[in-house]
Amino acid sequence: MSTVRLSGISKSYGRLPVLAGLDCEVPEGAVVAVLGKSGSGKTTLLRLVAGFERPDEGTIEIDEDVVDSAQRFVPPERRRVGYVAQEGNLFPHLTVEKNVAFGLSRAERAGGRAEELLALVGLADMGRRYPHQLSGGQQQRVALARALAPRPRVVLLDEPFSSLDAGLRASLRSDVMQLLREQHATTVFVTHDQEEALSVADLVGVMEGGRIRQFAAPEDLYARPLDRTVAEFVGEANILAGHVSSGWADTALGRLRVADALLPNYDGPASVLVRPEQITLRRPAGSSEEPAGTVLQREFYGHDCLLVVGFGATQLRVRCPGRPPAEVGEKVVLSASGEVACWPAPG
Amino acid sequence: MTKLLWGRRRPPLGLAATSVLVVALLVSPLALIVAQAAQGGWAKLWAALDRAFVASLLWNTVRLALAVTALAAALGTSMAWLTERTALPGRRAWAALLVVPIVVPDFVLAWTWSSMFPSVHGYWGSVLVMTLHLYPLVYLPMAAAFRASDPGQEEIARALGLTRWQAWLRVSVRQARSTLLGGSLLVCLALLGYYGAFEDLRYQTFTTAIFGEIQTQFSPQVASSLSLVLVGLSVLVLASEAAFSERGVLRRSGPMAQRAQSPAALGRARLPAVCSVAAVVAPAVGFPVFVVVYWLFAGGSSALPAAVSLGAAAGYTALYSALGAAVATVLALPVSLLATRHPSRWSLTLQRSTFAVQAVPGIVIALALVYAASHFIAFAYQSPELLVAAYAVMFFPLGLVAMTASVARASPRLEEVGRSLGKGPVTVRLQVTLPLVAPGLAAAFCFVFLSAATELTATLLLVPTGVQTLATQFWAYAEEGASFGAAAPYAATMMLMSVVPAYLLGRFFDRSLAAEKAGGAQVLGALT
Amino acid sequence: MAKGKRTRPAQTPTRARDYWYRRLLATALAGVLATALAAVGCPTAPAGASGTRADAITLYNGQHPQLTQAEVTAFEKQTGITVRVRTDDGVVLAEQILEEGARSPADVYLTENSPELMLLSQHHMLAELPKELLEQVPARYVSPTGNWAGVALRVSCLVYDPERVKASQLPAHLIQLAEPRWKGKVAIAPTDSDFLPLVGGVVATYGKQAALRWLQGLKANAVLYADDESVVAAVNRGQVALGVINQYYWYRLRAEVGPRNMRSKLYFFPRRDIGGLENISGAAVLASSRHKQAAERFVEFLVSSKGQRILAASDDYEYPVRPGVAPNPALPPLRAVRPAVLSVVKLGDDLPAAALLQQAGLT
Repeated sequence: MSTVRLSGISKSYGRLPVLAGLDCEVPEGAVVAVLGKSGSGKTTLLRLVAGFERPDEGTIEIDEDVVDSAQRFVPPERRRVGYVAQEGNLFPHLTVEKNVAFGLSRAERAGGRAEELLALVGLADMGRRYPHQLSGGQQQRVALARALAPRPRVVLLDEPFSSLDAGLRASLRSDVMQLLREQHATTVFVTHDQEEALSVADLVGVMEGGRIRQFAAPEDLYARPLDRTVAEFVGEANILAGHVSSGWADTALGRLRVADALLPNYDGPASVLVRPEQITLRRPAGSSEEPAGTVLQREFYGHDCLLVVGFGATQLRVRCPGRPPAEVGEKVVLSASGEVACWPAPG
Repeated sequence: MTKLLWGRRRPPLGLAATSVLVVALLVSPLALIVAQAAQGGWAKLWAALDRAFVASLLWNTVRLALAVTALAAALGTSMAWLTERTALPGRRAWAALLVVPIVVPDFVLAWTWSSMFPSVHGYWGSVLVMTLHLYPLVYLPMAAAFRASDPGQEEIARALGLTRWQAWLRVSVRQARSTLLGGSLLVCLALLGYYGAFEDLRYQTFTTAIFGEIQTQFSPQVASSLSLVLVGLSVLVLASEAAFSERGVLRRSGPMAQRAQSPAALGRARLPAVCSVAAVVAPAVGFPVFVVVYWLFAGGSSALPAAVSLGAAAGYTALYSALGAAVATVLALPVSLLATRHPSRWSLTLQRSTFAVQAVPGIVIALALVYAASHFIAFAYQSPELLVAAYAVMFFPLGLVAMTASVARASPRLEEVGRSLGKGPVTVRLQVTLPLVAPGLAAAFCFVFLSAATELTATLLLVPTGVQTLATQFWAYAEEGASFGAAAPYAATMMLMSVVPAYLLGRFFDRSLAAEKAGGAQVLGALT
Repeated sequence: MAKGKRTRPAQTPTRARDYWYRRLLATALAGVLATALAAVGCPTAPAGASGTRADAITLYNGQHPQLTQAEVTAFEKQTGITVRVRTDDGVVLAEQILEEGARSPADVYLTENSPELMLLSQHHMLAELPKELLEQVPARYVSPTGNWAGVALRVSCLVYDPERVKASQLPAHLIQLAEPRWKGKVAIAPTDSDFLPLVGGVVATYGKQAALRWLQGLKANAVLYADDESVVAAVNRGQVALGVINQYYWYRLRAEVGPRNMRSKLYFFPRRDIGGLENISGAAVLASSRHKQAAERFVEFLVSSKGQRILAASDDYEYPVRPGVAPNPALPPLRAVRPAVLSVVKLGDDLPAAALLQQAGLT
């Protein structure tokens, strides 16, 4: 249970900059997700915290101890940071039990800590097997048990579920996160899957351009993204042109309240973010002057459906609960509700 | 796929420097040979080469290489298919037997044939003997490739309308193309370097001519100029392989593809199939073993006294081969680490240049070392160290190839995880990397030992005064004494000494493939 | 790349265990290396020179081990001087001595044919032998400059298969073997060091041009073998009609396989034709030797009556040079064979012969 603080981290490979002036602070006991596209430097970030690589500039502190700076470097074996990689990376020449016990001292091994953890991840009777005899999900669980066995201060997970198939992914994810919370471990995991990040983490950092653009709780991130890029990253976004004045935005979909603390004193043109679930559709009743569009596409997911509606020159993505209210080609009337985020648009 | 971030990092200076040093050491014989050949001036060099005799040597060498490579490739592939992809009765036994020719040195095999059937000589005799001796170089990697190939791809092909045969040819064989090329390359290069067999079969090649020059001319210049041609040919073979191959890597797609493939039933073709495999095993394995045993019991003494006893010769052979194997293994490790952990065009070039050494026949290396020792390193002249060095240089690429798969498996990612679990760098290397690399190191050792114990040509030139190895003493009896009975025990001992390392080598390849099958995508390009 | 690049601070080992592991590893490596070096240095074949002990000499032996082994064993028993033998082709050894120069580890050089000794003599590589030694051997079997002595004699001849060629059909002159009627019927071993002196003899008798023509005719006619042992074995097996050898190879094969299995016969060229060239096998002490006394004792042993009797009794089947020592009883007397005698000076060294071999395309 420790805090992790990164300040001013920069790292380049050759002439290719990967991280540029990154700052981040992970509170004690929190589960933090770092969300970013492939190649955005998420893995590099984890490797720096683990100590496998050193940044070109910046400082890393764990629990107020400086582990990496221009004057000091603590090697990985002394940082007590657990690391679970994408492919698990179990030692192929050791049994599952020996894998989990690898980081333990002799006393701890005798004390049965390895068995304890195997039971925790639900693999109590697999101790004698070898890694290649386990399935992918089982291997990931063993990797996690191995990382947790020496009671690390921080646990780092590098896209731990991406190599598993969808059904397994969700159930394993929830199991693993539950375990980590029970252990009160400070956890940082990186992913490119925004659904994963939002559903599991206490705090989410969106990484882009070598920096963390926004670091906030999932709800805040979703509802009040700092800019368009972040907005589009964390969920589907409809960006409309509009005009903001005194806390209200006028858009083609009507007048909407601006989420508080954003643009408090701004008056002028803006891009307005309307999430798909904020838009409702209904069949037109007679002719009206309400905003209208034509359904171009629909995808039914069972619990909800997603419609793509042509609206003027743009297309809007709309989510409706349950069955779609209109078929492809039909004309629908649109209205929006709730608070919106917006950013100043160039004049 | 995994991002090879760590590959973009510059390699540690020590590793890079060691690798460069090793490679420079290996490539130096070439420079020496050039120096020696150019001693009398380039005009003289050209005059020595511009003769009808040399042209006939070239013709002999080329036509033999073409025939043997083609036949060995066809034989190796068809045998591999029969044992790996069909329901051949007694598959496992046949597979083990088909590999045995590796244990019989080329000159012993030629001797067994020519001692029983003197009409086996010249071009066709050489084609027969060389094909029987070299086909395992194609058989082993092709069998491994067929075993590891993904049946899913063939099934897709069949779903697209191809027959079983067509699917196999156009999908699996195609994929194994680079493996086939690699094996054929090994066959061709080995062929270029042999001396004993051709001397016995009375077929004039560059190597026999080089020895002839040494024995009649009083300056080494002509011999070294012929060596240059030989090296040129070998480099040509290497270059064409590099041009045509895809440097293929055969992977199973999908992490846990454990499905074995159903072997093709043979039905009525079963008996002919068994007969054809037996038709290969009998002359390649059965015949030499029979002949050696025959001469062991039939022939007795010889008027030619042994310079050393059988036990002493065996002792020297084992000692020098083991030392050569140890040195080669130790030298190959940094180069292998560099190539697998820090792949870059530069490190790959470094690795490839060591294969250029494979192109240099043993006799050329030996001549170069003698030249170096007599001119520069006086204390090494006629010393056992020089012979060990020759073995290490000659068989270095074999060691490299044998250990690459294991070294690739010991990824630095595993070391990092080990360190994150609290173990220091040395502990991690001992507890994680070493166990993973150890099978590869053992395989490399076995491979080099095997090759050194049966080496004749360089040993003839470099053996210290008063020492004989099994190979040289056998040669003295079989060729210079024509006393077959006295030669047989040496042949038998050589073959017996090779059995254990050959077996271990085979097991290593088997086991590493089993682990790969279950462990997901790994590099199988070790043999190519 | 970056401002404020980090320097790597010194890393201390993590735990005591890691530190000890390092030490263990280093010690183990050192131990392995030391053992390896010791093992290589230790076997009974130390490098290069025979050391500074006076009781060991190095012999570069171009003769067949049948002869040398017997002589060396007897010499070691009599004098207690160890002889370390390096056996190889006589020409190869001569070449080696020339390359090695003053650094050569050899003390004595024993070879099958005189031309190699003449070559070394021309390069001043040989030491003068004491007069008392030289006087024990007839003058024509000794170096004109007194630095080598003949030890054994052999005569060039033909081995033939009576079932394929009748004795009356055999050529009277060696040079006739180049004629077209012998196509495919002659076996020769051009890379055997015994062939070069024969070519030298043909050059001395007929001149270079004729010799070249003879070689070219042979190239067209002959089946090539690696050495004379293979030639005599092939003729005996009925593979070729006749072969050019030195007489002792036939006798050795007979000793090996038994008289009943000898279907081939020997033919000596009549009227002292050059085809019956008498080759002198000789020994010399190297000028660079550091054990000249011991080396001289060895050469002396070879020409002494004891050494010559050992030669006659052995399976070597060469003629002894010392007058009064009878050859092996299986051999016909030398007088009866009537070899062609060419002075060693006229026979010269092998260089012109080697050049002709190359010109003719035989090597």
